[in-house]
Amino acid sequence: MAVEVCSSAFVQLARAQASALGYTALPIAVVPHPFGTVSREAVRLMAQDCVAQIAGHACAAPAGVQADERACEAEETAAPCAQIEIPEAPDVYTAFNKLARAKRWSDGLPAVPPTPDRVEAMLAYTKRSRNEVVAKLAPAFGAATVESIAVNAVLAGCDPELMSVLVASVEAVAGTDFNLQSIQSTTNPAAVWVIVNGPIAERLGINAAGNCLGEGVHANAAIGRALRLLLRNVGGALPGDMDRATHGQPGKYTFCCAENEAENPWEPLHVERGFAASDSAVTVVGAEGTMNMCTLGKNANDLIRVIADTMRHAPSNEYVHGSEPWFVLCPEHAEIIHEAGISKAELKHRLWEESKMRAGVMAQEDFERLQASRTAELGLIGPDTLITISKKPEDIAIIVAGGKGGHSVYIPCFGNTRSVTRRIAEA
Amino acid sequence: MASHTTVLSPEAPAMQRGQQQRLQLDTLEGKVVGFIDNAKPNFNYLVEDLAELLKSQHGVKDVIIRRKRAASVPAPVSYIDELAGCCDVVITGSGD
Repeated sequence: MAVEVCSSAFVQLARAQASALGYTALPIAVVPHPFGTVSREAVRLMAQDCVAQIAGHACAAPAGVQADERACEAEETAAPCAQIEIPEAPDVYTAFNKLARAKRWSDGLPAVPPTPDRVEAMLAYTKRSRNEVVAKLAPAFGAATVESIAVNAVLAGCDPELMSVLVASVEAVAGTDFNLQSIQSTTNPAAVWVIVNGPIAERLGINAAGNCLGEGVHANAAIGRALRLLLRNVGGALPGDMDRATHGQPGKYTFCCAENEAENPWEPLHVERGFAASDSAVTVVGAEGTMNMCTLGKNANDLIRVIADTMRHAPSNEYVHGSEPWFVLCPEHAEIIHEAGISKAELKHRLWEESKMRAGVMAQEDFERLQASRTAELGLIGPDTLITISKKPEDIAIIVAGGKGGHSVYIPCFGNTRSVTRRIAEA
Repeated sequence: MASHTTVLSPEAPAMQRGQQQRLQLDTLEGKVVGFIDNAKPNFNYLVEDLAELLKSQHGVKDVIIRRKRAASVPAPVSYIDELAGCCDVVITGSGD
């Protein structure tokens, strides 16, 4: 049998996820929150109560519970999306939004009622069948059917033409390496950043130039928003319930851009990952946030040095786990580095070398997390060990996007996540 | 007759899922207990203390402890298979 131990602040998450996975009877022993920051002696005192709870759970099953911990055999199938009738009202839009707010269907902003005709219009832009399960989204492992993707796309205000990007995005976030389970339920502010490559970006008008990570363009705003609504409504990551983010970040409303392939002196991201330039692809990144790097430097070595300096910071999940830091180089910075004869692969290698950080600058507990996470990779780690931000130089990811100006962006990733790229299949 | 507007729910469509049920033990006396330490701060200390208390107060025969390399990754399948094969109870840490 199994018993779970967690602090009081995480009981709701544990219960919700156990229930989503079909184990509503999972016994949970609870220690007070905060737990991770208390003294050794305080842990010893908590253990006394905790062991009594464990013994009670192990030896006393609730009435009616059978001695069989195996899951019942049942094939998982998804039904059509439920239909709800909104009674006649003077203003249906307002009535729907009142309902959406009560049911926590939206991100706090007004939403578009997913009427059957609007959903049908969205479905016309995919060849996949309506009830096909594209993926099951953690942490609730709800079924993202083609229809439920369409419903959330309508809710977010998407034009129907965006449907194919959303289907590919859902496939991508469910990729094993992405680690959606942790991204959705962590205290970290991680958001899902969507990058679109290939001819579809221009056709759909996805902004890759000035203000591409800001507001103002329908496709960028709507794709990111629709994916967030899917992560909430299908994945179950409702803030305060299964989404345990300490602060979250604005990127959880929407976070989408295209790569500025026209002004990229190197190969675009999807080509680097094995797709043809004529393919369209979507890449999802578990992103902690954006850090602007304003520099008017004209020397490639200077630029690389200051970018590497930006990466180095002690409270970094990337150094703890050896991760996948991301950079959005503006066309001007990219051109300076390219003109100096530096390839993208060489740039990654230089950043990897120049951003090494002394392990001893970390807080003691983070140093211990680093040891637990990377000793197998790096060998013995002491305070003077120089730690790399990623396991290998190729793990550093670079795209070129943005407009005029000397600003590039460092986007630290969540830590234990890898971006996933999927082809966009157009109808 | 009152008119109405129909909308589709954006929530996950209903699925038929298998329900897992809970096993009951008569006693912890003589049993083998496994721990999956989720690598969150202090949980290793709690595991040490619980292991000692389970043995001294509840007669547990043996305790097997496995630690994940980080909280934000799943437990390796090898840990799960090993503990499922030899333990009567497995205790996991979750969250903070």
